[in-house]
Amino acid sequence: MATKYGGYMGKVVLLDLSTRTAEDYPWTDEDREKYIGGKIMAAKVLSDHLTGKEQPFSEENWIVISTGPLTGTGAPSSSRFDLSCLSPQTGILTSSNCGGSFGYYLKKAGIDALILKGRCEKHTWLEIDNGRFIFHDADADGLWGLRTTEGQEKLESLLTAKWGARRAFGKLMIGPGGENLVLYSAVLSGERAAGRAGVGAVFGWKNLKAVSVTGNHEVKVYDPVKNEKWNRKWFKYLRKHPLTGNQLPRLGTAGLVSAMQMRGILATKNYSAGRYEKFEFVNGETLAEEHNIVNKGCLTCPIKCARTVEVQGRKVKGPELETLVLLGGGICNHDLEKILLWNAELDELGLDTISCASTIAYAMEANEKGLWDNGLVFGKTEGITELFDDIAHRRGIGAELAEGSRRLSKKYGGEDFAIQSKGLELAAYEPRRAVGQGLGYAVSNRGGCHLNGGYLVILEGLGLNTNPLTPHAKADFTMLFQDLMEMISATGQCLFTSYAFFPGFLITRPGGIVTRIANAAIPFIGWALRFMNKFPLALELHLPVFHQTKGMCYAVGMKMTFGKYIRCGERGYTLDRWVSTRFGIRAKDDSLPKRLTDVPQDPSDPKTRVPLEQMKKTYYRARGWTQDGVPTERTLKKLGIL
Amino acid sequence: MVHIKLFGLLRLDTGLKELDAEASTVAQLYPILLAEARRVKPATKVTAKDIDGCTVMINGKQGRKSSRLKDGDQVLLMSPVCGG
Repeated sequence: MATKYGGYMGKVVLLDLSTRTAEDYPWTDEDREKYIGGKIMAAKVLSDHLTGKEQPFSEENWIVISTGPLTGTGAPSSSRFDLSCLSPQTGILTSSNCGGSFGYYLKKAGIDALILKGRCEKHTWLEIDNGRFIFHDADADGLWGLRTTEGQEKLESLLTAKWGARRAFGKLMIGPGGENLVLYSAVLSGERAAGRAGVGAVFGWKNLKAVSVTGNHEVKVYDPVKNEKWNRKWFKYLRKHPLTGNQLPRLGTAGLVSAMQMRGILATKNYSAGRYEKFEFVNGETLAEEHNIVNKGCLTCPIKCARTVEVQGRKVKGPELETLVLLGGGICNHDLEKILLWNAELDELGLDTISCASTIAYAMEANEKGLWDNGLVFGKTEGITELFDDIAHRRGIGAELAEGSRRLSKKYGGEDFAIQSKGLELAAYEPRRAVGQGLGYAVSNRGGCHLNGGYLVILEGLGLNTNPLTPHAKADFTMLFQDLMEMISATGQCLFTSYAFFPGFLITRPGGIVTRIANAAIPFIGWALRFMNKFPLALELHLPVFHQTKGMCYAVGMKMTFGKYIRCGERGYTLDRWVSTRFGIRAKDDSLPKRLTDVPQDPSDPKTRVPLEQMKKTYYRARGWTQDGVPTERTLKKLGIL
Repeated sequence: MVHIKLFGLLRLDTGLKELDAEASTVAQLYPILLAEARRVKPATKVTAKDIDGCTVMINGKQGRKSSRLKDGDQVLLMSPVCGG
């Protein structure tokens, strides 16, 4: 299992939770070249294992915890890792990406990826120490049932008592939400969360409350001198960039609320509108001015977008944009303090803030329309904190809300306004005034995810300012951005590093001549993108604004170019899709609720809706998939998957 | 008299949240804003170029530097943002 490449530990472990036995999982350098690491590697492992008959809550559902080759090499923002499995929320493959330090410590333990199969016989927590696996009783140790902060503190005290001293280690922890199989429950790692698609419930079903990992292995890089020099340059570039060096550190993602309001893409009242009249109470500026923000960040991250805020005498993790919007205008709430406390509470319970907020918004609208008498009303926030607890413990109405908006809409009606795709609730960008983002939500492999969907809104008003209502070239850009982001995740880096891909002047000088030409030209360069997407290997070069490729050369020793980078991302994205087609995913599932495709946001402007079917056809063609959304044999062979 | 509200880093960097001003075009607001910013926050590093780079909305609709203003208009100015 040794590897010629830097950045890898050369070890993938398959751990059977039922029998408590571990074995090496075969993973060669050829696999590393093709599937890199992180979520792409996990897709390959799961592709080799899954037939399409497995259930999310079953021993056959493996969890793959995977790191990327840049983690531990000193590359900026490179401490991310992925949790991949079949999602109980969507029924298909999901990969939830998380920051913090767990990935780094997994490598320190000498492991690139850990595959968990089977199921623990009783409530368990797992200790990994330099590649040794030690199973502990989570009931006897008093861990089961704890909220995530208390649980992680308890874990630390148990390990400190065992070691006789404090040692640095990485940790994963589920809360009551995961224990009670809430379909959108998260896994917490410190303050960071692998939030989406219910990986916490899969941990809960496997009776696995927590994982700790530590070790003293060294992550070796291919060319230490060039790697260090390159990383210095890369850090400097990110720190100087107006987005990664200024806006994100100072306002966090919350800084987008006001911009989204101006663009009409701020999800309001369960996506019935794109502007919230009271947005000024719940935007990033107010958060910064009134709640004494202290920046925090993951290991080796110069961006430090995470923050601690003060509210009612407590210091809590600050909310991300999605939480701020969906628990704000999404349910017609303009009480910022409540959002801050709710955000902390949802993390404590181990619930995904996006899906939880959107499911509640659906329930409010279903109540308003007389479909489901549940007592929830837009703008009425009393009792919401208790409702979260009921969801996490599946009590009363909480037991129903724990199922997510797709299942509820099938039961009570209102599928037109259950704002989800493939069962996963959408993020906070209302796509009727950013139609490329709408396409991304629909075709995203894991369901309604803004990032896995390609994040085209960055061209459509949040960054560049190309026409947000035209479908032209949106499919081609979606494919390119999806592939790029797929690969960035696979290497272990944060997607925020990709925002520096846009030269700073394009962001800070929107009225400049170059920016105006770029904005005007984008809808007309689909043909060029199509060529690039089809023949990426023609791009045997490094781009000065894209440091990732040289980073891979110096840290890992792979001969990476921009073209190869895109091709690896495309391979991962297509492989993920191919696995999901075994579970029945087709073009019909690449959908959005009718509210977004059939009802214009502005009744006087028919263009303010997502022309999804039109864009999907171009997208499938660009991807080399059938018009039913299935990768063709030719495409799979071209990408080396078959 | 028009009412101006500031958002994004422009607001943090100028220390200005909102103000009223006399102007008949958006462009005429810029020097007023700059002067007010320097009065409120003498150490501000905001330049005319920074203000020029802002997104403009007038009464809820997209505006531009050359847009004309009338009494009672509400102007929102937002420094460029991206990503999330």
